[in-house]
Amino acid sequence: MANGWSIFIGLAVVAAMCAAAWIFSPKGENQVLWRSSLILSFVSCYLMWAITFLAQLHPLIEPRRSDLRPEYIHH
Amino acid sequence: MAPAQDTPFRSADMSMVQLYISNEIGREVVNALGELGLVQFRDLNGDISAFQRVFTQEIRRLDNVERQLRYFYGQMEKAGIPLRKLDLDVDTLAAPTTSEIDELAERSQSLEQRISQLNDSYEQLKKREVELTEWRWVLKEAGGFFDRAHGNVEEIRASSDNDDAPLLQDVEHNTPAGDAERSFSGMNIGFVAGVINRDRVGAFERILWRTLRGNLYMNQSEIPEPLIDPSNNEAIQKNVFVIFAHGKEILAKIRKISESMGAEVYNVDENSDLRRDQVFEVNARLNDVQNVLKNTQATLDAELTQISRSLSAWMVLIGKEKAVYNTLNLFSYDRARRTLIAEGWCPKNDLPLIRSTLQDVTNRAGLSVPSIINEIRTNKTPPTYLKTNKFTEAFQTIVNAYGTATYQEVNPALPVIVTFPFLFAVMFGDFGHAVIMLSAALAIIYWEKPLKKVTFELFAMVYYGRYIALVMATFSVFTGLIYNDVFSQTFTFFPSAWKWEVPDGYTSGPIRAVLKEPNGYRYPFGLDYAWHGTENDLLFSNSYKMKMSIILGWAHMTYSLCFSYINARHFKKPIDIWGNFIPGMIFFQSIFGYLVVCIVYKWSVNWLDPANPQQPPGLLNMLIYMFLQPGTLDVRLYRGQEYVQVGLLLLAFAQVPVLLLLKPLYLRWEHNRARAHGYRGIGERSRVSALDEDEEEEDAHVPNGRTSNDSGYDGIAMITQDLGEEEHEEFEFGEVMIHQIIHTIEFCLNCVSHTASYLRLWALSLAHQQLSAVLWSMTLGSAFSMIDNGSNGIGGALFLVAMFFMFFTLSCIILIIMEGVSAMLHSLRLAWVESFSKFAEFAGWPFAPFSFKQMLEESEDLKEYIG
Repeated sequence: MANGWSIFIGLAVVAAMCAAAWIFSPKGENQVLWRSSLILSFVSCYLMWAITFLAQLHPLIEPRRSDLRPEYIHH
Repeated sequence: MAPAQDTPFRSADMSMVQLYISNEIGREVVNALGELGLVQFRDLNGDISAFQRVFTQEIRRLDNVERQLRYFYGQMEKAGIPLRKLDLDVDTLAAPTTSEIDELAERSQSLEQRISQLNDSYEQLKKREVELTEWRWVLKEAGGFFDRAHGNVEEIRASSDNDDAPLLQDVEHNTPAGDAERSFSGMNIGFVAGVINRDRVGAFERILWRTLRGNLYMNQSEIPEPLIDPSNNEAIQKNVFVIFAHGKEILAKIRKISESMGAEVYNVDENSDLRRDQVFEVNARLNDVQNVLKNTQATLDAELTQISRSLSAWMVLIGKEKAVYNTLNLFSYDRARRTLIAEGWCPKNDLPLIRSTLQDVTNRAGLSVPSIINEIRTNKTPPTYLKTNKFTEAFQTIVNAYGTATYQEVNPALPVIVTFPFLFAVMFGDFGHAVIMLSAALAIIYWEKPLKKVTFELFAMVYYGRYIALVMATFSVFTGLIYNDVFSQTFTFFPSAWKWEVPDGYTSGPIRAVLKEPNGYRYPFGLDYAWHGTENDLLFSNSYKMKMSIILGWAHMTYSLCFSYINARHFKKPIDIWGNFIPGMIFFQSIFGYLVVCIVYKWSVNWLDPANPQQPPGLLNMLIYMFLQPGTLDVRLYRGQEYVQVGLLLLAFAQVPVLLLLKPLYLRWEHNRARAHGYRGIGERSRVSALDEDEEEEDAHVPNGRTSNDSGYDGIAMITQDLGEEEHEEFEFGEVMIHQIIHTIEFCLNCVSHTASYLRLWALSLAHQQLSAVLWSMTLGSAFSMIDNGSNGIGGALFLVAMFFMFFTLSCIILIIMEGVSAMLHSLRLAWVESFSKFAEFAGWPFAPFSFKQMLEESEDLKEYIG
């Protein structure tokens, strides 16, 4: 479900959102404000999500712990 | 060309305008423009001192009225009458007419007289009252002395004159006790009675003793109630004293000393009957005085209460009126034509509005002479006017705190609206804390109107930044979800990508997780919760957050650098694109852009693929060796890496000479070419003729051959002669070169240091996460584990409640407020230094229009009158 292609799917979604923000920003003096703020927000959030996802895509280390309780093991 | 719409993207187009206003309506016009708040007037009388200006008389008069109003306020404060403050949102004050102002001035004049009269009489009465009270005390206490004194007249006499003691003793014995009063005068013993400050009693006694060599008998007693000094309303403790002494001279001396020590001497009769009469009389007079005093006080209070209802409004009116005349003093007054000439800056798009306002005022006044507004051309840099609304205002303030953007360059506040809160959120990422902050911000915004009145300074600051807080909190909710942190615990929205590999019969010991699907499912949103609480979670999250900081920093800086391209294009300086933007961008991208590409590439490769396991390279080492030993590799990342790296390195270093030389050489070439064609800089004849349309015209027709220092032009542009101050700028190659060298060195070094600076994102988010984990384990965590271990009775419950209270308070104070402020400051620095240095020049000066609204908001004097 969520493998490496997600990055590009996410990119497409964010691009669509940016396009929508560009088109549907209310007209007038603050149109620039709406467009810049919305698109910049979408891109920033996408960047952060994509970085987090990529960092876990091919992990080099795995979680380790020694305080696992027997009740928890079936998870 | 129709002027473009004013946007927050860059400063509004400004134009310099000149107004010709008939003298009669000058005041009304300025009033109307003050309400509008769109024109910044220039001082056209710079060489005239404040006292010589045309409207100084009016200002003096208004100052006087203001002083009177202040006097009323002082009196009201003294009387404890509350002031009805003026709410500017509710009460709108119409612009007053001149006669109204005159009326107000007269009224306050007469009120002042009346109040000061009342005050004087009140003070006098009060003084009288104090005197009478003191006298009454003296009578009372002195009476006590006398009564006691009669019992031991002998002692007094013995102490005062020993010589003829036997003789007098005889007399004394012969006289009956009832005649004792007469005996004082008979013995030639007189007395002085009065009242003195209690703390002076010691000194008084000593002085008396020394000057009279002990020839006195002093008696004193404390007045139990404090007396009020009418001049400063202070309570004073006083003593009553009676001094008996022998001989007229000595008594006179005592009187003098008493007076010089600030004592009040009162007339007390020796005879007890007379004294009783005196007491009655004093009491009666005291009663009268107190009655009159009460009446006076009531009248004064009534008068002040009436004033208090409209005092604020008057104060504001006078404040406005004064501002109007101060502005009128900036205008040039043409006595011959009875015309006021004003010059100022205003937004080009608002010119029609200003024009129609002028028209309105002129029509209303019924003048046949029209008011004229002219746009004039000038070589002076216009002020930067960045329009704000209530959302952008605080963001703009953050930017303005650093500097005022150059006229028409990209407004740095526009990207800051997102980047500042976002970078804050990267450091503050915790869902729980973010939600608390978000609720607070939403609450402030919901109760925006009532909260506006709160004057507590710290809250006012938060209130001012409420929209910043809103955006910051919103982004923090997002980053909290990405970090999967809520009060240092985790969400489990999606199934984890990891499963714990537990051996059969596991009881305890180290255990590791494995991916459920090595090539398939990954945790889709944020950090996998399997990492939470593991032994090596820091190892993973540090590597992740560090790389994220570098990537976000690179994105932020690249984005900021792009604005320098937009600026260069807007100002039509292609050399800034070719000489600064492009080489700078190539330099930055070939080092740090490459690093980011490597980071992403390394993430996307499956290094532990069982079919083809490889050793993952360390990117930090790779970057270091790229500089230290170009062409050699420690661990390979991809094929052909060494060639790419050497190529990029060469490309980066090749940009340095371009950055260094292209712009200065081009500018010199351009300058020399212009010189060769016989052009001269505009600045070399720094004069703008704006006074008269004809001259503008004439100026335009000046033939090329005409020399610039044509004496015929000197002194024409009276009004605008100070316009060309520092516009005069010679081209100097050395200066340009030095500037460019500094820029180059700065830019190249900053690329490195600024990238490293973004690592603060990692450091602060790590600190925040660890701090909240510690807080959790020390409060709620310990409470839960206690309950887990069996103490789940009432004691455990109480402990849990107490721990929750601690957890919540400390979360709010330390993690939200303190950590929030620290993250904000770091984010602010990233905006100011790392981002702004890439594109913004900050060489502008702010547009400060003449506006009543602004004046009233910023005025310190009027603060207490406006609620």
